[in-house]
Amino acid sequence: VSNSASATITILVGAVLGRVALTGTFRRYVKGSMGPWLVIAAALLVVLGVVALVAALKKGRDDEHTDGDDPDHDHDHGHDHGPVPVAWLLLAPIVVLLLVAPPALGSFGVDRVGQVTVRRGAGTFDPLPPGPARPMTLLEFDQRAADGGASFAGGTVELTGFVVGPDSRGGFRIARYQIACCAADARAAVVRVVGATGAVPGRDRWVRVAGTFHAAADDVPEIIVTSVTEVPAPLDPYEG
Amino acid sequence: VIAAVVLAAAILRPVLRRLLDGPAVSTWATVFVAIAVQAMPFLVLGVTVSGAIAAFLPDGAISRLLPERPAFAVPIAAAAGVALPGCECGSVPIAGRLVARGAPPAAALAFMLSAPAVNPVVVVATAVAFPGNPRFVVARVLASLLAATVVGLVWARTAWKVPPPRERGSKGAGSRRLETFLATAQHDFVHAGGFLVIGAATAATLQTVVPRHLIDGVAAGPFAVLALAILAVALAICSEADAFVAASLQQFSSTSRLVFLVVGPMVDVKLIALQVGTFGRAFAIRFAPLTFVVAVSSGLLVGGWLL
Repeated sequence: VSNSASATITILVGAVLGRVALTGTFRRYVKGSMGPWLVIAAALLVVLGVVALVAALKKGRDDEHTDGDDPDHDHDHGHDHGPVPVAWLLLAPIVVLLLVAPPALGSFGVDRVGQVTVRRGAGTFDPLPPGPARPMTLLEFDQRAADGGASFAGGTVELTGFVVGPDSRGGFRIARYQIACCAADARAAVVRVVGATGAVPGRDRWVRVAGTFHAAADDVPEIIVTSVTEVPAPLDPYEG
Repeated sequence: VIAAVVLAAAILRPVLRRLLDGPAVSTWATVFVAIAVQAMPFLVLGVTVSGAIAAFLPDGAISRLLPERPAFAVPIAAAAGVALPGCECGSVPIAGRLVARGAPPAAALAFMLSAPAVNPVVVVATAVAFPGNPRFVVARVLASLLAATVVGLVWARTAWKVPPPRERGSKGAGSRRLETFLATAQHDFVHAGGFLVIGAATAATLQTVVPRHLIDGVAAGPFAVLALAILAVALAICSEADAFVAASLQQFSSTSRLVFLVVGPMVDVKLIALQVGTFGRAFAIRFAPLTFVVAVSSGLLVGGWLL
């Protein structure tokens, strides 16, 4: 890798990182609060790359004046050793991001990555106030369920998640990931949807369901729904 | 050459698209990109510090700051890790640069091992992940400091020398310093970044291919500690996030989860790749197993005492 190529790689990485950070695509991969840091890192990389590129081009021109026709002169491995060939690998995630921008984690990983295991009595919850359907994270639903489920007080809740697939006990499962930092540490909270489900939506479709908690025989909390609506994928696919 | 890469990419685009329709490949790509993106800010912080070390640190400053005897220098360097808020990706290039500027390798390595585990950001994250359990936080800090110090001292005693990374450029005065700073940071970035990509690809492969219940199956058995230690190496989770994962592994004992948190920031597939890049293969082959054994022992010891 010549110095100018390594500088160009740095600029490319910075530019694509900046694009991913500014368009919001980064939320598929890392926690939303990392956005500003990504922008700063991207800006610094572009500056570093531009400075290095200017220096490399200037030096290339100087070299031409001094030893331009020397065939043995190796710009890459001479007095100023450039980076190792491994630097090219930096282009791999960049190419993947530019061309296909992988989707947020979906149903495939639910049975593979760890699922949220909620300790019984981990938290105590105030009973739900009476009133209209209350939006709730799947994590909170699971935690209230592990807490015995009494805190639902029979109230209606609204959950948004993606479809994992039909459940052997009837109905289907929805899930949503929690991430602490990036998609590599994702854990899924899973809820079984039963009741007036209608036709089971396709895998990885996002749905909003409204219904009431039901204590299930196994350890997957259950919601008896009155409505299932397909919704577009949310801006932030993960629950913080 | 860049143009050729862009052209090849344009041709590959439909192929990649079709590949990504497979859920396994798509999960792999997401985890791969996630690890790379997540590491970028920390890597940039790391190379900024390493650039500053190359450009602005006066000659001989390190030897003046550190006592000569490794028995004192190594623990001090390990404790100095408290001052570098970041995760493990940033600390490898910094350690490489410290060695290049004449720091004793054993001390630089102790700093490299401890910094990702004991800095304030990670300590706070651990406290948040284990609410109402301050002993766990204390145990993590102590076990990490202990492991970093022991590895550093063992390294100082044995003949395994770290080949110092070649120093790039010469330090000048005035505006030359700024040039050195920028050039070093840029150089270290592409260098470490390439190896980071290898590590991210390995971690993504392991996460996609190895079903987690395989590891969960041994939670109750006698190999629980070893299983979590190996999981820490395979997952390559950022040290600022690993506490949340450890907190979710409730089927495991406290001590085995402590081992997970001590091993993770010191040895994982991403770090091994970075260390191969910075210090060479011969180094990593000896250093990673040594660190792994010491980290597991240290976790067991402190866990048995405190938890």
